[in-house]
Amino acid sequence: MVPLETSLQQLFGFTTFRTGQRAALTALEAGQDTLAVLPTGAGKTLIYQLYGYRHPGCVVIVSPLLALMNDQVDRMHVAGFRHVAAITSLTSYGERQAILQHLGDYRFLFLSPEMLAQAPVLTRLQQVPISLFVIDEAHCIVQWGPDFRPEYLLLGAIRAKLHAPLTLLLTATADHATRHEISKQLRVHPQVVAETVDRPNIFLDVEAVANDAEKQARLLELVTQLQGPGVVYFSSKQLASETATWLRDQTGLPVAAYHAGLASEDRFKIQQQFMQGDLAVICATSAFGMGIDKNDIRYVIHYHLPADLGSYAQEMGRAGRDGQPSVAILLYAAGDERLPQALNQANRPDDVTIQRFYQQPSHFDPAEPGIALLQFYRAHGISEQAVSDLFARRERERAQALARMVAYVHTTTCLRATWLTAFDESAPAHQATCCAPAGQPLDLAALGLKRSVVAPTPAPARDWRQQLTRLFY
Amino acid sequence: MEPADLLQLLSDQQARRLRVIENLLRGRRTVSTLYWGLRYDLLYLLDLNKHLPRGGLDAVAHTVVANGWAQWGSDEQPQLRLTSAGVHARDQRPYYQPGDVTAWPLLDLNVARQRLLLAIQVTSEYAHQTNRYYPLAVDQATRQTVRRWFYQVRDPALPAQVAAALTATLATLPPTVAAVTTAGLTGYQQPGQTTQQLADQFAITSWEAYLMHVTAVVAVAQAARDPHHVLAPLLAPTWQSPVTRSAQATLATVMTGTPLDRVAAERHIKPSTVREHLLEAAIMLPPTALPYDRLIPAAARQALLAALPQTIDDWEYTALPAELQERYDFFTFRLLAIWQHKRGVD
Repeated sequence: MVPLETSLQQLFGFTTFRTGQRAALTALEAGQDTLAVLPTGAGKTLIYQLYGYRHPGCVVIVSPLLALMNDQVDRMHVAGFRHVAAITSLTSYGERQAILQHLGDYRFLFLSPEMLAQAPVLTRLQQVPISLFVIDEAHCIVQWGPDFRPEYLLLGAIRAKLHAPLTLLLTATADHATRHEISKQLRVHPQVVAETVDRPNIFLDVEAVANDAEKQARLLELVTQLQGPGVVYFSSKQLASETATWLRDQTGLPVAAYHAGLASEDRFKIQQQFMQGDLAVICATSAFGMGIDKNDIRYVIHYHLPADLGSYAQEMGRAGRDGQPSVAILLYAAGDERLPQALNQANRPDDVTIQRFYQQPSHFDPAEPGIALLQFYRAHGISEQAVSDLFARRERERAQALARMVAYVHTTTCLRATWLTAFDESAPAHQATCCAPAGQPLDLAALGLKRSVVAPTPAPARDWRQQLTRLFY
Repeated sequence: MEPADLLQLLSDQQARRLRVIENLLRGRRTVSTLYWGLRYDLLYLLDLNKHLPRGGLDAVAHTVVANGWAQWGSDEQPQLRLTSAGVHARDQRPYYQPGDVTAWPLLDLNVARQRLLLAIQVTSEYAHQTNRYYPLAVDQATRQTVRRWFYQVRDPALPAQVAAALTATLATLPPTVAAVTTAGLTGYQQPGQTTQQLADQFAITSWEAYLMHVTAVVAVAQAARDPHHVLAPLLAPTWQSPVTRSAQATLATVMTGTPLDRVAAERHIKPSTVREHLLEAAIMLPPTALPYDRLIPAAARQALLAALPQTIDDWEYTALPAELQERYDFFTFRLLAIWQHKRGVD
């Protein structure tokens, strides 16, 4: 077999691997199941793309987000890969049948865990040689599995039914406990390839504000002064939309909202506009991110407090993928933790509901997410007590995760140290270019992130005939 | 939809059921929804917003009422009627009126627009010699159809042909419609504006921007009925009968002169379904398409009209004398209302 570098050159035209890619590929080539914990932007997809290119059979990729999967398929097509498909709940019946019938022709198949758990899909997959079984965003097994994507918990059993193919687990964030839990669920003993989650080129900043009004004012100030493009994260779709409009009116900058409530056509357009530099700022919910590979995002601002440091690291990690100086700013007003706290508690069916459900399951509407979850557990023979304990444990875990997030906000010494310690890593020595905890000023000029030129006013709308001409000539 | 958009769909002359408007937008084709859609002159709304959830207009309706622009009627179903303040608010600024919308329900709009938008993107990228780009997120069937079309017509002259065809149609539309539509198109290095962005840019509502876009799609599809049109292979097949296949079959059997109960037996459907099919056809097709004379004999017509109020909206089957209800079923009553409406007798 040709050396890895030769394949890399042939397939992607690169001569060297990025950190972590080579180690993961070497482990896989040696037939080792592998857990790759690589930071956002490290080029995780290249690992299975290259492996799939070098070995016959189909690479099966289990991926959490519908939008992300179609995006991946498109992206692979754009990169020149053929025989790539995705089966999700959005795939029509006919299309799904067509893919399953010709499964042997596909080299890369993306599936949601829910699809993979379906008997006809699984049966068909058992009949084709699988070169590599990939779990993308593997932390979702732990983060989402027990709460609202229980099919994630079946992946271990499914993998066994697929004759335990060589497995690659990919994630950007996983502390030791999470790594252990992922391996346990998947019933593998993987070789761990882990790179530091640290992103030294992202300056970390926490700013305490007195209240919502002050937070809004500070956001406006930041967006006006910062070198773009940037992303502002919100916990609410409505606030993301409203703030996008407000910021656009206030600053004259091209700002747009992005969240799961938009039509897929609009999401596509916003994403493309942002990619090609038409937008200065995106006001987004967590729906924005996975699958967006824009390298020159200069800042990520969090308007609401994320529920845990893992989510925070994922989102702020979208800044500065090009390695250039960037900044992650978290705006915090006292009491901001109440929103994630409330969501944490609202997230799960209470004990009374669990009890009533187990007594008379038919009296409940399976369309409700909480009930669907209970139905899943009941169907898989999990007792009422065990479910109740599970939810209670998850609530405690989420509360602890939130406490660590709050501790980050209240850090007075080094934000990076607090963050990295939470991921069982030791931080480099604190220095001026590292972070500014709450109370310490943020000097954008010193970071080289101050907007130097006034944003150009948008070009006047062209005549529609000219616009058509530009499309076709 | 914003209050300004809902105001356009309401009237001070007629109380309108909110649920009917909602169901038209969602494409729920019950006979009752279609009938009231006909009476409100809103059948063009059919299928325009298939993703609208049930109750999706409630919030905006409450705002309209809270602003004093409309009042709820006392009927069992929520009905709205514009107040004079509502009429004033509605007429305060020019609102886009799509003009002749009779063709709208005849087009499978969602299929037509997906095909058109993807074909434009594919042609634009081809014009700029790019073959690696993110295609619009459309369903697999659309992708395949457009791909087949593209390989059939691929030729260096294609971009000019598509541009000329689009220009010819857009030039017949109001300049704002042409501008809004073009600015929303996706192609080479042009992601296209979202409906919200278009609304902001042109100082209109998102719904208005969408109506303009639909106007243009229908117009292009109309032009593409010409077999020489470059987009004809894609768009001509998206024209359809506004009546379901099953109702068409029922109507065809009725037209042979077969009595309704025999039609039911022959088609293995319930007699009530035959009547529903005929009402659907009566609502959606021109008056010449149905044998009204046979379905509502002159005697029935005279007897019913003599007992019913002048205005069709005031007709109530249950308010008819018991003796007439005995003799004429609801089907005859409703069919008569449709026939009167279609003949412009109101």
